[in-house]
Amino acid sequence: MSAEKAYSVLGLFDTPNALMQAIPKVRAAKAGTVEAYTPYPIHGIDDALGLRRSPLGGMVLVMGVLGALTAFGFEYWISAIDYPIITGGKSPSSWEAFIPIMFEVTVLFATFTAGLGMLLLLNRLPFFGHPVLSSKSIKGITRDRFALAIEAEGEDFDAAAAARILQDAGAVEVEVLPAPDRSPFLTSTYILRTLGGIFVACAVAGFGIYTLTKWFPVLRPMVNMQDQPRLNAQKASTFFKDGRGMQAPVKGTVARGYLPTATGTQDASAALVNPLPRTKEVFAVGRKAYLNRCEVCHGAVGNGVGSLTAAYGAKPANLQSQQFLDYPDGKMYWAIVNGKNAMPSHAADLNESQRWAVIHYVRALQRAQNAKDEDLKVVAP
Amino acid sequence: MHTEPSAHALPEALIEPSLTVGRVTPGSLDDQVLAFPETPPPRQWYIGLAITLSALFTGLGFIGWTFYKGIGAWGNNSPVFWAFDIINFVFWVGIGHAGTLISAILFLFRKRWRNAIARFAEAMTIFAVMCAVIFPLIHVGRPWVAFWLFPYPNQRALWTNFRSPLLWDVFAVNTYFSVSLMFWYLGLIPDIASMRDRTTSKLRRAIYTALAMGWRGAASHWQHYEKAYLLLAGLATGLVLSVHSVVSFDFATSVVPGWHMTIFPPYFVAGAIFAGFSMVVIVLVVVRETMQLKNLITMRHLDVMNKVILAMSCIMAYSYMMEGFTAWYSMNEYLHHGFMNIITGTYGWAGWITISCNIFIPQLLWFKKCRSSYFWMIFVAIGVTIGMWFERFVIIVISLHQDYLPSAWRIYKPTMTDFGILLGTFGLFFTLVLIFARVLPVIATTEVKAILPDAQPSHGDSHE
Repeated sequence: MSAEKAYSVLGLFDTPNALMQAIPKVRAAKAGTVEAYTPYPIHGIDDALGLRRSPLGGMVLVMGVLGALTAFGFEYWISAIDYPIITGGKSPSSWEAFIPIMFEVTVLFATFTAGLGMLLLLNRLPFFGHPVLSSKSIKGITRDRFALAIEAEGEDFDAAAAARILQDAGAVEVEVLPAPDRSPFLTSTYILRTLGGIFVACAVAGFGIYTLTKWFPVLRPMVNMQDQPRLNAQKASTFFKDGRGMQAPVKGTVARGYLPTATGTQDASAALVNPLPRTKEVFAVGRKAYLNRCEVCHGAVGNGVGSLTAAYGAKPANLQSQQFLDYPDGKMYWAIVNGKNAMPSHAADLNESQRWAVIHYVRALQRAQNAKDEDLKVVAP
Repeated sequence: MHTEPSAHALPEALIEPSLTVGRVTPGSLDDQVLAFPETPPPRQWYIGLAITLSALFTGLGFIGWTFYKGIGAWGNNSPVFWAFDIINFVFWVGIGHAGTLISAILFLFRKRWRNAIARFAEAMTIFAVMCAVIFPLIHVGRPWVAFWLFPYPNQRALWTNFRSPLLWDVFAVNTYFSVSLMFWYLGLIPDIASMRDRTTSKLRRAIYTALAMGWRGAASHWQHYEKAYLLLAGLATGLVLSVHSVVSFDFATSVVPGWHMTIFPPYFVAGAIFAGFSMVVIVLVVVRETMQLKNLITMRHLDVMNKVILAMSCIMAYSYMMEGFTAWYSMNEYLHHGFMNIITGTYGWAGWITISCNIFIPQLLWFKKCRSSYFWMIFVAIGVTIGMWFERFVIIVISLHQDYLPSAWRIYKPTMTDFGILLGTFGLFFTLVLIFARVLPVIATTEVKAILPDAQPSHGDSHE
């Protein structure tokens, strides 16, 4: 036993009473630092062992206040300085709405201080290399037995003497723990340093990148959201020789869906062919356009007696007359686009396909008014 | 952990009845509770897990469908932009509140009976919050950019709006989850150390060693540990009251009639505790029966829990009456219309389910017979769970479907997907509960050891 260096001597007790009675005796012997190991917290053991009050309350208070200030500072800076927006008509610097998040961040800071501060800072856990963990007694300590340890304070620690002290104080069993021969691989110090390093790295990187991107635009890694090279209407541009962003359209440009046709003479347009098929849908479009635009003058059946005819000076064309029965589609189209006699141009009101649909509809009206026997055969099933 | 004077000094009538049945020693407690993770689960456990996993995967399927199809897969419409997603979110966050209440508030009040059920209740808190956060996450439509909810320096040069209650919610729920997890884990450390030192399996030992962080039960550690636990209990108490208050701000700070009321924060907190306790009763009865924990979770525990449910039911009754009173006394026709909708409108049936399940049914608990009968307490607890879900339905859907503008009124109908995702979260919750019950100590053995008879040294003078 004396050959290898002892770290501490453990004495085991079966009841909390036995443990509490032994503590003053063992402490009085002054053989080393006295520590107790128990399965659950024992009332009054702090005083018996002469432990100082835990400083955790003060730490949590300080960190809680710091949390509140951090949250307030962050919220104020964002909402009032860096990105001021008005919500609900309040001034960007009104602080009342910041309270819920200040509270949450206070609790968050305080909780992590209480939990991690207790584990990492005060208790120095995780610590996997403590001799008690590899002792025989640990099974009892975390179950239902109580241990008192005399820990070596210097080179002159006498394990045998310590064991005697414990036995005299009533220990049921005594175990000498050898000093650990290697350092544990993961300790609280290591974790704290790593966490601290990560925190500092994040803070420096975040602040640095924010400053750089904000004040030195060259360093912005992705600029396609902010800088969008394009020509704006009504704005100057160096792209064209005349320095304008907006250019006159190329000659002959037409708007989509508004192909100008029949711009020549009416006779020249006679050759145009109606491009639309004679389907139900086309007739429906034609009927609608006819009723909206043509019916008031030319009448519901195209006979030139529309609802406005009486009030209207000129006489609208009777589309049922022989002249119009023989009229080529193209000439009718030209008339719709350019107007004829008193009839105004309907180019702005009807698009190309509506015009041709109207012509189909007029042909249908003509055929209906001049029906022949063979037309009935077409209708019959 | 407890500093109340020894019970022997008290007159007979004030001595608390024992919190355990039969002889329980620290050693027998470990053998009983810590043995579960080391023994293979019974057949019923696998059957239960199969059921809950089916529900979970059904829910995942519907979530997948939502991602594929978009939020249009749900019944949400205009003006009911929020429906099942927020109902379920509030429902699950509320369920979690019982755990924190039991572990933190009852700890501060030195209610020693909480020690035996605190661990399970805390676990349920964490699982319930996990279920809850699913809903806002999938409702944002593009959950892969949900981190935009947090204020961080970004390329878009945008910051979050700190005046929005929805952002308060982000902070409140995240803080709540972190604090609950911390509280739960700290409580687990000494228990995991016990498991580490009793297990014979190498793999288990390695896992428990890592989780216990080298806990060795030193008196100097216990001193800081108890202080930390007390501080966390105090912090969690404030937090549990704030979280559901902040959740209620989502509604109360808007101008929708039926939402814009100052009673909302306390009303939501009481409702949360109400629903949470019911869920704890349901789970505890099953655990008590199937895991043979009758000597530790006694009928007295259930009796006290049922009394809390009854008290909360009365607070809910007051809140509902207050809603009606506000509608009447304010002489505001919109508020009046909203309240009449709850009792006579298209969704009147939901309003009456809420009132019956939350107010009428729990009144059964006035009778000791009902408080000590599994059938009646489960009946009430399930009723409350249903009722509290419908309460959120009433608050959200009824208020939204008819507000100021009659031309915008519309009836809301949930879809299969809505129900599927709700089922999925129940699957997730009970899957986690089942796994927890077989992997970690279901009872905080260290805390129970500390309150067993003769666990603390007698003070040596007057009574020995």
